[in-house]
Order: sequence, then structure tokens, then C-alpha cells
Amino acid sequence: MEQAGKSKTFRGGIHPPYHKELASGKPITPAPIPEELIVPLQQHIGAPNEPAVSVGDKVTVGQVIGSSEAFVSAPVHSPVSGTVKAIEEVPNFTGARVKSVIITPDSSQPPFSGTPRDTSSLSAEEIRDIARSAGLVGMGGAAFPTHVKLSPPKDKPVDTVIINGCECEPFLTCDHRLMLERTSDLVEGLKLCMRAVGAERGIIGVEANKADAAEALASAVSAEKGISVEVLEVKYPEGAEKMLIFALTGRKVPPGKLPSEVGCLVQNVGTAIALAEAASTGKPLIERVVTVTGPAIKNPGNFLVRIGTPISALVEAAGGYLGTPAKLIMGGPMTGWAQPDDRAAVVKGTSGVVALTLDLAAEEMERECVRCGKCVEACPMFLMPNFIVRSARRGLWDEAESWGALDCFECGCCSFSCPSAIPHVQYVRKAKAEIAARKKK
Amino acid sequence: MAKEKLMVTPPPHLRSGETIASSMRDVVVALIPAVIAALVVFKVNALFNIALCVATAVAAEWLTRKALKRDNTIGDWSAVLTGLLVALVMPATAPWLHYVIAVVVAIVVIKELVGGLGLNIFNPALFGLAFVLICSGFLAPWTSKLGTFPGLFDGATGGTPLTFIKHGMEGSSAAPSLLALLFGNRTGGALVEVGAFWVLLGGAYLLYKGIIRWVIPISIIATVLILTYILGGDGVYAILAGGVMLGSFFMATDWVSSPMTPYGQAAFGILIGVLITLIRLYGAPSGAVAYSILIGNAFVPLLDRLFKPERFGAVAAA
Repeated sequence: MEQAGKSKTFRGGIHPPYHKELASGKPITPAPIPEELIVPLQQHIGAPNEPAVSVGDKVTVGQVIGSSEAFVSAPVHSPVSGTVKAIEEVPNFTGARVKSVIITPDSSQPPFSGTPRDTSSLSAEEIRDIARSAGLVGMGGAAFPTHVKLSPPKDKPVDTVIINGCECEPFLTCDHRLMLERTSDLVEGLKLCMRAVGAERGIIGVEANKADAAEALASAVSAEKGISVEVLEVKYPEGAEKMLIFALTGRKVPPGKLPSEVGCLVQNVGTAIALAEAASTGKPLIERVVTVTGPAIKNPGNFLVRIGTPISALVEAAGGYLGTPAKLIMGGPMTGWAQPDDRAAVVKGTSGVVALTLDLAAEEMERECVRCGKCVEACPMFLMPNFIVRSARRGLWDEAESWGALDCFECGCCSFSCPSAIPHVQYVRKAKAEIAARKKK
Repeated sequence: MAKEKLMVTPPPHLRSGETIASSMRDVVVALIPAVIAALVVFKVNALFNIALCVATAVAAEWLTRKALKRDNTIGDWSAVLTGLLVALVMPATAPWLHYVIAVVVAIVVIKELVGGLGLNIFNPALFGLAFVLICSGFLAPWTSKLGTFPGLFDGATGGTPLTFIKHGMEGSSAAPSLLALLFGNRTGGALVEVGAFWVLLGGAYLLYKGIIRWVIPISIIATVLILTYILGGDGVYAILAGGVMLGSFFMATDWVSSPMTPYGQAAFGILIGVLITLIRLYGAPSGAVAYSILIGNAFVPLLDRLFKPERFGAVAAA
């Protein structure tokens, strides 16, 4: 563990207001099972799943309800025991209509009963199979299938597995609680990832504002060979994959490349714990920890939530709304999705539900860029976001690409810093879509 | 819940709280020490000039935008700031019409007719000043005879502190001392040139508030200091006299008309510093800072491209 001197970090970034104190002290508690669960068949990046059940079927907790033969995909399991009420297209948290299995839970819910397994002798192949059949995806938000990540190309050996314990998004505290409450499972998950890719070194990177978690982890890994805990500067987006790899190893992932290019693999805290759980008991990804917080939530907290639980039920578990929320966000406030209502369901990648009051959510009118350069200073990818915006406003997509639109990972530092209230991220998304459409032609 | 009230906008959902208006207001606040110093020395003349320039700037922006059917932007403090800056860079003693012309050129021609704040290439206040300088050649030394309300301050007749640079006479007894240049120069020059110290106070405030970065002011000041010594002049005198301090901290750092990357800003500052020194020594003694920054402004689009940052990971040897 880093003791003295400057904590590790990257260049650029911002210091947003964090508001972590709302929920960081609240232990994880199970949320009640809602009256109805909406389980999207696609919750990952990759090929869509086909339903494995029909309307009227009885399902048991952990049963596969959707799967695909494609390599880049992750099956979906029933989060409860109950009855399939419908299979239909429902808007997910992004507003996209996704084929979803709607389940009415039984009144009594047996706990998931798995088969205990000795994880110490599992081979790399077995670990990948476990990740795949448990439907594991990156639980930090990107939702990339875990078994794919654990299968790096043969010519690009991974020597370092990094656990991303930064949780640099304001408000969110689920990873913080997991690091504190599931410390040994996290270490076990890291060891499984290291074995799956044949890495010698494991690093758990924790931002300095979670010193208690860093300490707990440091004592848990003190006897482990090759595993260390590093404390990182509190700065957004410290937990962005490329920034984190650079801060911890000094390696720079080239534009358009994956971490395996520089021998690294980054896993989210929740994913690593889910992998440990799946390996030791066979439990698939049917629940996750979600932080329900914000100034417009009565009792902010961290909840163990079944996948498919609608936001409204989750807010109820947190005591309901406090006053009138002005904005409801699925995910963190820097990269999350604003919701038109509270009907969307929790998916595998949902880390938080944040309800903002008007004082935090108010938007200024978009003005002309005044070239202050704050976006350039803040951009962790060293792009000039205002020039991407300028090109996008004029429909000059080639120019937008030359300013690095495709290298942007949409952290939002530019818009956060912008005195002209320019929604850079929106322009970048538009530019990416246009550039992709033109490349297809 | 009142669902219809939920705002749906793209991320990020948090903002720093810094706006154009809050930043411009901070720059106006940073000018308060210099304004007070000017009021102490020039009394009601300074008050009249500042009031006239600010009122003209606000009126000109409001009318122009109204005529062009654009939103009213008076609330962003940019017109107030431009008016105040014009008042500060002009001598206390010019005819009142000169102030009005400078402000109207700054606001209407340089800013609004090219599309408004953000689209202008040149620093509006300095362009207004340069326009009047070129068109009227009026920049008279401060005397007690001129000004809208004459006779209220003791001014020396003779050259401005800059004439001494031109003739290599910084050390002569007629030239103001360095202490006078810092805190209370009455030899001649613009309203703001009463004392470099008062401008520096404001510059420190802007740095503290993060409105400006240190690269541009330091590179200009260092260049003028060093180059003046190399060319045989008095470097310290050169940076304290005239508009170097105001130009470095308040004019060349203008967001819209300066480069955005650190190296671009350094090149911009060095270019301006070289121009200031050369123009002062070999060209016109007055207006060197204004001309130099305006020339620098013209190079900004080039500097932004030339010093485009290398994107993350692009140079890594994998």
C-alpha cells in the first residue's frame, strides 16, 4: 500500500462534488422483492439472447431464461421463482425497447441453492466457463461479457489484473460497501481472474476517499503473493479503464485498443465478487448491489437488489422520494442515464439510482464556445472537445474524427467544466454514430 | 411522483457551476484595485470615463442584438467588462467622443457583427483602443488642461513613461521611479497605468479563481524583461511601465482570443513579448502592448492547431 508521497493518478480530469457521505456509511441491505420483475433479455454488449422460456412457464430462481450461441453474449437467469407473465418489448434504462421477460414472483421465495465447489483447483478454462454460464458482465456500467474479457488474444499475454475500486462517480457507494463487507470474496475473485488469464500480478486500486476499504483490503492481501493494494488520488475519472491502467502501471493503452494491448485486464469490484460467488456456489448473476441516493431520496442506502426490480420499488425501499426529484438518474451522475419516469428496471450494469433536486440538476442555456480551454484542460484523453463540437455542429464528420471523436469515452469532464454549458457528450455521440454510418457505406 | 417534471438530458448531470457570467464578473471584481487607484488619482474624470464606457458598451450590445434579433446577453457581464477595459486603457484626458467610438467599435464591429462572444478573433477592448489610436493619433500626455473635467488632478506635462524607453532614458531623473510605476505613477499613460501593483493584485485574484492560467502572463512578462535587457534597456522598468501588466493578465488571457493549449499559450506569450519590446524600442512608444496582443490574436487559430495536444496513448511504444 502506498504510504507516503503523492498518490497515483493521471493527467487531466476534474473534482466534482462527491456527496458520497449520503450513503457511504450504510451497510448493504436486501431490497424487498417487487410485485413484478422486468428482466431484459439483453443486458450486455454483444449478441442478443433468445428467450428460453414461454409465457405461463413456471421459473425457479437461477434458471436460464435467455441465452445465445454467440461468443460475445451472456445468458440471463431468472432472479426469482415465479411465473412468466409476458415476454415483450419494454423500454430499458436508455429508452431503447428491449425484449424482456416479465415475471410475477411467487409469494414464498426459496433462496438460491447452489453446489459448493472447491475453487482452488479450477483451470483457466473452467473459470471462463463459470463466468459465461453465470451470465457475468462488467458491473461498472459497460456490461461487457466477463468470459470474453477473461479470454485475451494468445499473442497479447496479460501479466496484470487490476480491480477497479475507484468508484470515482459522485454519489455512488456500492463498490465501497462491497470492498468493506465482501473483502475476502473480492480477493478470491481477483485470484480467479489472475488464474484465468495467467497473470502474475494483481492490483486493487482504491481512491483515497475510501481509506477504510483500502486498509481492509491491504490486510486481506498481506499474505497473498503478487497482490497489492494501491491508493489513488480522488479525481474523476480515475476509474476509467485507460486512466486507471496508466495511474497504476504507467502503461498507456493506444487509441482504439483494448487493455490486453498493454498486458492488463481491469475488473469491476462487483464483477470480481460475483465471479468468486459463481465459482464457489454456482450462483448466477441474479442480484447486485445498487446505491439509491441523492438529495431527493429519503433514506439513501446500498441495497442488494434482484435484477429486474423497477426503480420505483427500489426508491420505495429507500423510504421514497424527499420532495420532488428534478432528475432521476440510472447510474452515476457523470455518465448515467436521465429517466423520464421511474419504471425502468435494474440490470446487471446498474450501479446506482440517483435522484437530484433542482439546485443540482438545473441546466444553463447552451452558449457559443468562448474558447476558455477548460474542456481541453479537463480531457483525460488529451483531446480538444470543443473542436469536436464545432465540427459536429457543422456536420463535418471527417473533421470531428480527426479531432479524436472516436477516442472519447464520454466521461463528461468537458461538459462539467464548460462555462458555456455545451453538451459535448451529446455532440460526440452524434459524431460517433455518423462516423460509424459513413464507414459502413 | 410528478413524472412530467423529470428532466431528461444527456450526461453529465453535474456542472462545475462556473458560467460565462460568473467568470466575467470575477474579472470585473479583479479590476477593482486598479479602478480605485484610478479614481484616487483622476477623481471625477475617471468616474465619468468608466461610467460612460460601461453605459455605452451595455447600450451598444443591447441595441445591436435587438437589431439582429438575437438573445439579450447583457446579463453575462461581458459588455460591462469590455466597457470597463476600454475606459482603463484610454488616457483620462481624451475627448469623450473617443471613448464612445472605441467602445462601439469593440462591441458592435469586433464582437457582435462577427456573431457575438466566442466568435470574435480579436480582443474587443484592445481593437477599440487601437482603432482610436490610429484614427486620431490623440494619445496626449496627461496634463491638467485636458479631460472632460479639467483641473482636478496634478499631471505632469511631457512624455508618457514609455517615451523614456524609446529614447533609452529610463534612468533619467525625469522618468518615474520603479516605485512610482508600481504604486502611483503620475507621469502619463492610460487610466490603468497609475500603478502596476494594483493590476497585479487583480491578476493574482484571477489566477486564484482559476479564470486564467499563469502561462500567458508569465511568458509575456519574462520575454519583455529578458529581451529588453538583451537589447540594452531596463527590463524591470519595461514590465512596470505602460500596459504590460494589464495586457498580460487581463487582455492576452482573454479566453476567446487566446490559444487553448499550454504550449500554444507559451508561444503566444513569447510572440507578444517580443513584439512589445521591439515596437517600444524601434516603433511607436504608445500602444505597443495593444498592437502586439492584436497581432498575437491573429495567430491563435494557427497556434491551436500547431500545438494540438498528442492524444492519450498515441505515442506509447506498446
